[in-house]
Amino acid sequence: MGRLLEHHSKQLIKQLGLAVPAGEAVATPEEAGAAAERLGGPVVVKALVPVGKRGKAGAVKFAGSPAEARAAAASLLGTTVRNFPVEQVLVEKRLDIQEEWYLSITWDKARKMPAVIAGTRGGVDVEEINRAEPGRLLVRHVDPFYGLAAYQAKEIWADLGVGGKLLVAATGLLVKLYGLFDQSDAYLLEINPLAVTAGDTLAVAAAVMSVDDSAMYRHPELAGMVQLGSERAWRPLTGLEKRMVEVNETDPYRGTARYTEMPGGDIGFMCGGGGGSLLCFDALVTNGGRPANYSEVGGNPPEEKVYGLTKGILSKPGVKGLFVAHNITNNTQVDVLARGIVRALRDMNINPETFPVVVREAGVNDAAAREIFTAAGVEYYGDEITMTEAAARMVRRMEEAYPGYRRQEGK
Amino acid sequence: MAILIDRSSRIIIQGITGREASMVAKHMLDYGTRILAGITPGKGGQEIHGVPVLDTVKEAVRRYGADTSVVYVPPAFACDAVLEAVANGIKLVVVITENIPQKDAVRFLYAARQAGVRVIGPNSVGVINPADRVKLGAIGGDNVERCFVPGRVGVISRSGGMTAETSWMVKRAGYGVSTSISIGGDALIGSTIKDLLELFQQDAGTDAVVTFSEPGTSQEEEAAEFVARGGFTKPLLCYVAGRFTEDMPEGTVFGHAGAIISSGRGKPSDKMKRLREAGAVVVEDYDHLIDELRRVLG
Repeated sequence: MGRLLEHHSKQLIKQLGLAVPAGEAVATPEEAGAAAERLGGPVVVKALVPVGKRGKAGAVKFAGSPAEARAAAASLLGTTVRNFPVEQVLVEKRLDIQEEWYLSITWDKARKMPAVIAGTRGGVDVEEINRAEPGRLLVRHVDPFYGLAAYQAKEIWADLGVGGKLLVAATGLLVKLYGLFDQSDAYLLEINPLAVTAGDTLAVAAAVMSVDDSAMYRHPELAGMVQLGSERAWRPLTGLEKRMVEVNETDPYRGTARYTEMPGGDIGFMCGGGGGSLLCFDALVTNGGRPANYSEVGGNPPEEKVYGLTKGILSKPGVKGLFVAHNITNNTQVDVLARGIVRALRDMNINPETFPVVVREAGVNDAAAREIFTAAGVEYYGDEITMTEAAARMVRRMEEAYPGYRRQEGK
Repeated sequence: MAILIDRSSRIIIQGITGREASMVAKHMLDYGTRILAGITPGKGGQEIHGVPVLDTVKEAVRRYGADTSVVYVPPAFACDAVLEAVANGIKLVVVITENIPQKDAVRFLYAARQAGVRVIGPNSVGVINPADRVKLGAIGGDNVERCFVPGRVGVISRSGGMTAETSWMVKRAGYGVSTSISIGGDALIGSTIKDLLELFQQDAGTDAVVTFSEPGTSQEEEAAEFVARGGFTKPLLCYVAGRFTEDMPEGTVFGHAGAIISSGRGKPSDKMKRLREAGAVVVEDYDHLIDELRRVLG
């Protein structure tokens, strides 16, 4: 899933004809001051970062004047919020909020249905609402074909005790937001708080929206708003990770080569597929090894992709060994992997006699792979040992090459 | 004996004319699996490795009495393919396609539930019954016996690749598999671990089950609850990969789309604890599966 920054999700909500606070996204304190001037009156200054719970992280500030807005922006810009650098802030007119409600639309994974979660107490984390007043939030599942009818939206609010003019407003708002969720292939659309303002009107005070990466092919209108693959990192992609995305994209339809840098570490990690990588990583760590990255290589990648990924893995500073392992593959040609890896080692002048490399690859054409690896002086295993045994062997090789390896600190 | 598929399964492949599907069809046929027809709209009348290609599932049901379908169509068309299978009375649909939009998956899973149709996947590498030499999907590739030999152990895996490796561990321990199922790595799938334990419980040909799990989803928790209330009484051996992800910031995906810890839920250590409390044999080290299998099966 890919998250949208708040000003983008609010732009989509505004297009539905719903009320959102007037606001501007700016990149400097001066611009923030000028924006506050134009908006007039008290404003809210929010860090534009693709993470939730920004209030708790101190990334939302209130300002009573343009000068205060400038100062608030200055204190946010250039900092990081949950590992994401703040490059822009959103300056919004502060609403006169009388009540704070909660609304979200998401997938109930246990029931495998879309679900609407609504409550007339909001403003704080949904977890907190649940803890403080269990039962205050109402959960309704929605037929994925039929969608949410207006009467169903009405019943949700009526069951929460909403009446009068607000009931009509809330019904219309929910139907529109469900439509946005459905039509934009969203994963999550959360409005917290949904603000009741003067005259019994509703405004979307804060919005969090993320959309399904797999559905982006049918949403050209969202291109540029969504950071794809942002769920695969807890921080912005590093330079090396960006290069590895490029390596993967050179041939997007053949094979997968995913790369995530880990803090510290010294064993280059060249493993796959989805479950096999998790197992190999655990096995190295359990044996006292320190992987420098995480990776997933699979789906029969071409030699060039394997070569590019291997070079990337080995280029991270501090890497002094390479572990190559997969589960026994159903369709990946192991000899192709072997050629890509051996070529990368040779190009980087790495001698597997002194720089530990352990390979456990069994699958299509593994007899040829054994020859290629063995000829290059690489310690190779097929299905004569298990993945866990190979991981233990890798750590043993690190100990032999670097005495005291397991006693060293993890950096 | 096995679950889901056997010699009497009447199998079709939706999307058989695609590059990967046609290679997989060849491997399935070589293994001994009968494929009655393939479906690709606009290509009716052609043949793939001697298998007739039809335009509609309806025709395959009318002509051949098809009841089992393997779906290999691209993500944008997968939802419609499953809906077509469901509407025409197919009883088991194995969805191989990866990267299907979540909304589409929710829709076809909903339609299948309403109709009482069993779905495996999406994002599965397939299902295999070695005693009958029936396999659906790429599972085992063209060298099936390396990992899959007939026996009395059931295998359920959230990872496609680890379905093979785990079945190979069973073989290494001196046993074989009754049925191995790659249930799919997505967060939303048709048949969960619990659903399949229910079938293995009733299968006289299965003496024990091995599961391979990952972080994320509540499948293991549900399976533990099912075992604890007596729904599954045979020996159950479990491994949960990805314990290192608990030390990483929350909300990050490592591995399959479904492998995500969020709001403190989906942690491997919790899953292991729950399964162990329910009476399952939970191994810390994947290699211990071999000794534990020998111990429980004698």
